Amino acid sequence: MADLSSSAGGAVPAGTDKTPWRERLAPWAFRAPLIFMVAFFAIPMAMTVVFSVFERTMFWMEPGFTLFSYENFFFSARLTNFLNSMKYSLISVAICFVFGFPIAVFVRKSIPEVAQHRVVLLFILPFMVSEIIRVFALRPVLQRNGLVNTTLMDLGIIDEPITALLYTHTGVVIGEVLSFLPFIVFSGFLAMEAVPKYIFEVCDDLGVGPWRRFVDVILPLAAPGIFAGSVFIFVNGLGVALLPNILGGAGAVNAGLIATQAITALDFPLAMAVSAIMMATLTTLLWIGHKLFDLTKILTPLS
Amino acid sequence: MNQTDFNRRQVMAMMGAAAAAGGFGMPARAQEALKLWAPGIAKVGAQDWSDMEAQSGIGINAIAKSARADESIQKMVVGDGNALYDAMTDNGGGMEDALASQGAIVELDISKIPNWSGILPSYQEGGMSADTIRYEGRVYAVPYISNADSLAFNYDVIGEELTSWEALFDSQFRGRAAMQNDFGPTLTNTAIYLKQSGKGSIDNPSDMTEDEVRQTCEFLIDLKKKGQFRTFWDGVQNGADLLSSEEVLVSSCWEVIQIFAARKNGQDIRYGTMKEGHQSWNNVVMLTRGGQERGMEDAFYSLANVYLSPWFGAQTLAGLGFTPQMEGVQEYVDANPDMFDADTKAIMAERLERKQARRAVAGNSWQNVFPTNIRAYQDWWARVQAA
Repeated sequence: MADLSSSAGGAVPAGTDKTPWRERLAPWAFRAPLIFMVAFFAIPMAMTVVFSVFERTMFWMEPGFTLFSYENFFFSARLTNFLNSMKYSLISVAICFVFGFPIAVFVRKSIPEVAQHRVVLLFILPFMVSEIIRVFALRPVLQRNGLVNTTLMDLGIIDEPITALLYTHTGVVIGEVLSFLPFIVFSGFLAMEAVPKYIFEVCDDLGVGPWRRFVDVILPLAAPGIFAGSVFIFVNGLGVALLPNILGGAGAVNAGLIATQAITALDFPLAMAVSAIMMATLTTLLWIGHKLFDLTKILTPLS
Repeated sequence: MNQTDFNRRQVMAMMGAAAAAGGFGMPARAQEALKLWAPGIAKVGAQDWSDMEAQSGIGINAIAKSARADESIQKMVVGDGNALYDAMTDNGGGMEDALASQGAIVELDISKIPNWSGILPSYQEGGMSADTIRYEGRVYAVPYISNADSLAFNYDVIGEELTSWEALFDSQFRGRAAMQNDFGPTLTNTAIYLKQSGKGSIDNPSDMTEDEVRQTCEFLIDLKKKGQFRTFWDGVQNGADLLSSEEVLVSSCWEVIQIFAARKNGQDIRYGTMKEGHQSWNNVVMLTRGGQERGMEDAFYSLANVYLSPWFGAQTLAGLGFTPQMEGVQEYVDANPDMFDADTKAIMAERLERKQARRAVAGNSWQNVFPTNIRAYQDWWARVQAA
């Protein structure tokens, strides 16, 4: 290419030598995502795993090979904390699905097509407020003398304030549901692309009830999208330290907070090990999801 | 001459005039602003650093810093902190040793700090706080605030003055008590209580053995399972909110949390003096190796002198309630009657009195950023969290 440009320099009119540059750059445009993923995903992931087997020093870590950080994770209370955070994240996913997916179905089925995207965009509005403010704002609602308890007591429904709403696992789940519900609405809305609108009419014509229509028709078609949204919520439930910190009970933690606390104690190999375990868990989850639902279908809707 | 040229010349002329004015008409300023890596609590007076600049006669370029030890270590020992900051703050009694041992900060020449003569006697050689600003016997840090952390309690609801950590662990406050979500202060304060009450066999609450950590954490786990703690707080706003909303009635916390909580709804939330003792701590300002190499020593000493001035001590006591690190604060307030109104003066006098009472308790233990058995602290803290 260099020879071509230099030999053509005198004969070809000015400006036409731009074409070879474009041709040369074109393949890189396609490689850019790959380069990006390697630089900002694969290499940091690999480094996380490498650092997790390094030796801890007083202030940092030094090269070596030890599985002590993994032993320290799996044979300590951290595993219990990690499994607990998985359990409560799964509960949040289930609740988000129960509340969020019907909204997505409703928008697809009952809102005129021209207005559908605008309605879904409404769910972006909460994200315009800082997450810490959104989470903190839940406290005056859920606390002992908060809005919920005051209202219920004023109505005479309860005599004593319900303290389980805040500073408990319930509080964290409530926070996760309110924070992450839009994700299942978005992914559910996209997933419903795979469910042609005539399916609803066919089901009505055949006299299929709503439950069977949902379980036998909608769910299998929309499964890849639902799974993707669920993974997103699950990952955030495991990793966003803010929620257990502000809404959880004494010492409430999730995986993200376990890693953060290890860093605070200058135990960098342990923090890396926790991150590596999180990555392994989520990669396994995605692999299972792909095997079950073929996640590439998200990108190839029927309609 | 085109317009661009004219503007450039105008600007150059103005800059020259400003530089001349700075040289002759204003206090001597370092040519460059001191790059200070510090949290907001290191400043008093105006919302920005202008009052601190006016007092010290230097320019200050403050870069926000958290109170996390790992952040300091990462920046100053592993990262590029020395290229970024001329001076920095952190906890004394641990961080100055860590940073000095790694060559991240430099020894100070206290003869260049005129106000050093007024520093609290406990910082002089042989004093109980002397080690918190020294590494291998040499001064590396200047203290600017300190405190002895205690128990905040809602006097309006409780109706009596609390004087023992017993209250925090007492069943009458089951579900209405809180502690800090950090193993350092929480385990130290609990250990102080266990040691002084004879309920635990603990030698040094600041630096416990593995068995002592186990005893302390098992005590907390037992209480947690019984539902004693509503939650563990994290951050000033979080801690203040718990007290002001009456979600908790007793909380082991920083004094600034009690002050914010009391201000919020005007409740009588007090900060007690615990007969068993308290975790003491201070915050210090240090000159980085990079700052010294860039010739910022004089600017640093000017700022350090302000930190040891009664002007700063009075302001930090009145504002966030931190303990002044110098003597003569009351005399300074008396000599400047217009500086504070009568209510503020009364609050300051009461705070000083309480601080002196807390400082005098024999069982006080110093905060330890890096306890010898830190791994045991971490592992047992995870068990407390999982309980």
